[in-house]
Amino acid sequence: MVITGVGMVTPLGRNCDETFANAAQGRSGIDYITSFETTGLPCRIGGQVKDAWLTDPESDVRHRFGRFSSRGLRLMQTATLEAASQAGLETIIDRERVGVSLGSHGENVSVSEMSELLRFYDGNGHWDMRGLLSSCQYSPFQFFLRKPDTASSILSMLFDCRGSSLSIVSACAAGPQAIGEAYRIIQDRKADVMIAGGCEATLNFMGFIGFVLIKALAEKYTTPQTASRPFDRKRNGFVMSEGAGAVVLEDLDHARSRGANILGELLGYGSSADAYRITDTHPKAEGAFLAMAGALEDASLTADDIDYVNAHGTSTVQNDLVESLAIRRIFGERARSVPVSSNKSMMGHTIAAAGAIECILTLMGMHRSLILPTINYEHRDPKCDLDYVPNEARHMPYRRALSNSFGFGGQNACLCIGAFEE
Amino acid sequence: MKQTLITEQKVFEELKKAIVETLRSDEAAIKPESSLIKDLGAESLDFLDINYRLEQTFGIKMARHFILEHIEEMFGEGSAIDENGQLTEKAITLLKMRYGDVYGDLSGGIDMDTVPTLITAGSMTQGVLDLLDTLPETCSKCGNTAWKTEDGIRVKCGSCSEFATFTNGDDLIKNWLTAMQQEKKIF
Repeated sequence: MVITGVGMVTPLGRNCDETFANAAQGRSGIDYITSFETTGLPCRIGGQVKDAWLTDPESDVRHRFGRFSSRGLRLMQTATLEAASQAGLETIIDRERVGVSLGSHGENVSVSEMSELLRFYDGNGHWDMRGLLSSCQYSPFQFFLRKPDTASSILSMLFDCRGSSLSIVSACAAGPQAIGEAYRIIQDRKADVMIAGGCEATLNFMGFIGFVLIKALAEKYTTPQTASRPFDRKRNGFVMSEGAGAVVLEDLDHARSRGANILGELLGYGSSADAYRITDTHPKAEGAFLAMAGALEDASLTADDIDYVNAHGTSTVQNDLVESLAIRRIFGERARSVPVSSNKSMMGHTIAAAGAIECILTLMGMHRSLILPTINYEHRDPKCDLDYVPNEARHMPYRRALSNSFGFGGQNACLCIGAFEE
Repeated sequence: MKQTLITEQKVFEELKKAIVETLRSDEAAIKPESSLIKDLGAESLDFLDINYRLEQTFGIKMARHFILEHIEEMFGEGSAIDENGQLTEKAITLLKMRYGDVYGDLSGGIDMDTVPTLITAGSMTQGVLDLLDTLPETCSKCGNTAWKTEDGIRVKCGSCSEFATFTNGDDLIKNWLTAMQQEKKIF
């Protein structure tokens, strides 16, 4: 199974190269949020994608999809255009053998939408349906923005993919699960090519407030750029970001037969559940361990074959502690000599997009023999005692890596990625 | 002011109700010394749920941050938790001054990650009572001193029927820390 195209749009850049170049310099894509009013909130920062980086739907002949398109989908369209163009996707003739597998969540209801609805509600269970149905203000297309399946459906239309179209909804694990399940579909010979990845655009009031209330976001920071500090003793929550990552996964023989440029291999996929708590992670890292062990077994490799771990590394107290424990359990005595780094230190947590973006950055690092750093690493945590590639990218050739994604609710996924070997 | 309208027993009963509703625990198993995490199986999110229920019941606002976070914020990084993740001597002193023995014997040093396990039904009851003790002398609406309760839970003005308002939990801790610092110069 090979990867023949990659694309992304992130707080660090409009595409893969720009994102990687900024990350290699240890730059942060985090700043004060401008997409909605944050005055009074204990966390006012996030990683936004510049509007100018999004594909302009009006310039696209298919712009009639715009009214159904959430911001998440627009990010995904941008990332997929890059990946599809690199893979030469449009030259593939048999479109029934091309599918889509997307990790995403429906767009949150907006405050203005709720306000509009409440004009027709008496507060006691009664609606003025005549008024609502005759209102010109409430758009029927809102419905499609809320549905988590719309993005996959429209992505299939936009890129003319008539094979399986999956919508994976599993928070932080959605991106890598979408890639992993696409990998299975190709393994099962149900498709030759899959567009797979994830997108997230939750930097709005309703998307943000829930994470504030459960105290999951970083609240103690001196500057926005230093708030996301995975594995650092002073970490105190994650930083919410938006973005999208897309890969074109392809059967090796299919890719060879059409002379596609092969970027790397997807060697294995592990997926598990903590089956424990809704936000707390399993104290013995059971689910995280199972996902990593599953990916290794699927790849017919052992921990000794792995040169680098792209960590989930959210900068929450619990995740980074438990992830370090899982890595120690997988690697045993070798754990402290395997570089582990978190891209979220620079771009924050893009939730459903994160695993897809991180899988691509891992592959790009392999091509460049460069391990991206964990920035803002200043205070050693005695309970997180691994080599986190602190603050500066490291030149080191590597050929095989694991990319972790562990979601709230204990949904876990791990991808094993390798350089292509003839 | 120290209030006497709502008894410790009543607070404990209401807390037990909140715990049962949140955790589906057996009410008989909830003792003052029960650790919510270790003995009753609570997770971090459950504290938000239980606090929310207590806030609705008593008309109070529970602290959003634990005292250790306030100490770090007011007296600087490292003031409550040292570089090994252990509570500092000063933090332990303050915990004892504020909460007595409610968190057990802390003299042997304690890791910050185990602090949540120290929260018991008894310490939560005390937390609610501390908030209720911020009952103002007079009603903010009519200015009279005529507090009463009909159900042993909500305090209202016997003169104008306005519900009493209490100090917010985070402000209560911060005010207390400020007063302690002025008095004892701990930091």
